[in-house]
Amino acid sequence: MALFSRTTRQTIIKIDEFFDNIDLGILVFRKGIRSYVKGDYESFHRHLSKVDALENNADKLQREIENEMITHSILPQHREEVTRLIDEMDEIMDGIKSSLHEFDIELPEIPESLFENIISLAETSANAAEELIPAARAYFRAPHTVREKLLKVYYFESETDKISFSIKKRVFHEMKELDLAHKAHLRYIVHHIENISDLAQAAADMLSIMAVKVIL
Amino acid sequence: MILFFLTSGLFLGWSLGANDASNVFGSAVGAKMVSFRKAAIIASVFVILGAVIQGAGTSGTLGKLGAVNAIGGSFTVALAAAITVYVMTKFSLPVSTTQAIVGAIIGWNLFTGNSTDTSTLSKIVATWVTGPILGALFAIPLYILISRIKRRARIHMIQFESYIKTGLVVVGAFGAYSLGANNIANVMGVFVPAFDLSEMNLGILSLSSAQQLFLLGGLAIAAGILTYSKKVMETVGSNIVNLTAEAALVTVLAQSLVLFVFSSTSLSNLLVKIGLPPIPMVPVSSSQVIVGCVIGIGLYKGARNINFKILGEIAAGWVATPVIAGLTSFFSLFIVRNIFNIDVGRKISESVETVQTPERAFDISQVMKYIILVIIIIGIVISLYYYMLERKKNREFRKSEERFWKYIK
Repeated sequence: MALFSRTTRQTIIKIDEFFDNIDLGILVFRKGIRSYVKGDYESFHRHLSKVDALENNADKLQREIENEMITHSILPQHREEVTRLIDEMDEIMDGIKSSLHEFDIELPEIPESLFENIISLAETSANAAEELIPAARAYFRAPHTVREKLLKVYYFESETDKISFSIKKRVFHEMKELDLAHKAHLRYIVHHIENISDLAQAAADMLSIMAVKVIL
Repeated sequence: MILFFLTSGLFLGWSLGANDASNVFGSAVGAKMVSFRKAAIIASVFVILGAVIQGAGTSGTLGKLGAVNAIGGSFTVALAAAITVYVMTKFSLPVSTTQAIVGAIIGWNLFTGNSTDTSTLSKIVATWVTGPILGALFAIPLYILISRIKRRARIHMIQFESYIKTGLVVVGAFGAYSLGANNIANVMGVFVPAFDLSEMNLGILSLSSAQQLFLLGGLAIAAGILTYSKKVMETVGSNIVNLTAEAALVTVLAQSLVLFVFSSTSLSNLLVKIGLPPIPMVPVSSSQVIVGCVIGIGLYKGARNINFKILGEIAAGWVATPVIAGLTSFFSLFIVRNIFNIDVGRKISESVETVQTPERAFDISQVMKYIILVIIIIGIVISLYYYMLERKKNREFRKSEERFWKYIK
């Protein structure tokens, strides 16, 4: 019987651990971008390998959660949505990993005048993703509080958009000294950082509908 | 021959098990919260327990309505009820075994010239109306209570759902017990006055004549649950209670309470002791009570579009089913008496109370002893088999997981 089995408790622990992983991943992402921009490559590589490990662990947890939910018929009415939410959140982790790897592989040259803007972009984008975690946790314990928590995700996402537009505008309109390839490369990198907040918004949209369904 | 006469009642029991078990475990099985295997085993065991331990109350009321005093009559009355249920189900008309058997008994009364006790009849009809209303009245406070606990306790959704899952199993067991206790009268009630079996001693407990019949009826209901209720649970169950998990729990609990209230003689005696009127021991339709519970929750949640068609169908069933069953019973009794020349009963004052010889009764008791023993042994063997199968499946799953991660690494 579910009440007496360890599976329920284990699944709850695994879901919490999964969220912890994403939370840590976001934290490492901020640090990683900051280290790269500041030229501290040793620290950047340390963060990169940390993100790799976190992403691997998140994948493993995701699979285990899905397996347990199916084999032990946990949350049968909401299982599909919960697994989709976990999938969406794993996308954020994948986004973080691929973004840091882009930096590692392509070694973008960031002009000094954009240092603070890029760091600010990464911070805001990470904030959007970070605000998703308490909302996702609340879905399981207090679904009526999810929507108010998601407001911050939408706020940071729109802030990220504004910062990214301003960076792109500066790169293409004001920085005449850069050649087109360099400009295009910077736009590509900005897009990658910005993508984290977009993924957070997609997950927030889904979470918001899920919460309404549970409350009704 | 005596066992043959019981077949109509057993068939009625089988169809009751196949259909009404979905009211108890349908929502849980339909929502995949409880496996059918687990639900069927629990429901079967508790239906039999409810029937044997607490089935006497409602059967007594049906006996007061019309004490069918010949085995041929009991057979025909139960058959008429079964035919009514089958035909009405075939034409997708809402039908309840409870109402069919009452109509069939009245048909017997009319045929044999016995008068129908109007006070008992009005008590029965009043209970049909109050059953769904009481279901709604039980469901609303229970739903409020569970919703508040959920909101305030801030329990993790998975933990909460696991409590609900356990609750569904426990409440389902109680529901099955109440179903057995309340509805066994529909299946075996008409046979009780006509049978006089010798007491069966099983060592730790002894079963009276009526309890032996209830045991047989309970076994028939269990057979219906095990053989034919899966499809009904998976389809009808999810249709009736397409609600949240806690609402499903509440509807089953409220329905079980209603069935229990209308079949518990001890509760009725307790009310009499404290100066309140007794509760009528009447078989009620579990399907109609569950509709009452769902409507109750719907009203609390502010549903504006109550399906009046369903309510109308239930009300129509209160009249149509007994009338059709009564007519079927009357004509069947006519055929059985005049064509097959079988005694179907006489006026109570002239009747011989039992037609059963003690020798034959003793034989049936002996046979039943063996039936019980065989069922217990089969039950243990099947439980062990499934336990081993489950262990094997879990072991294989663990191994495949380990292999997968080894491969990934």
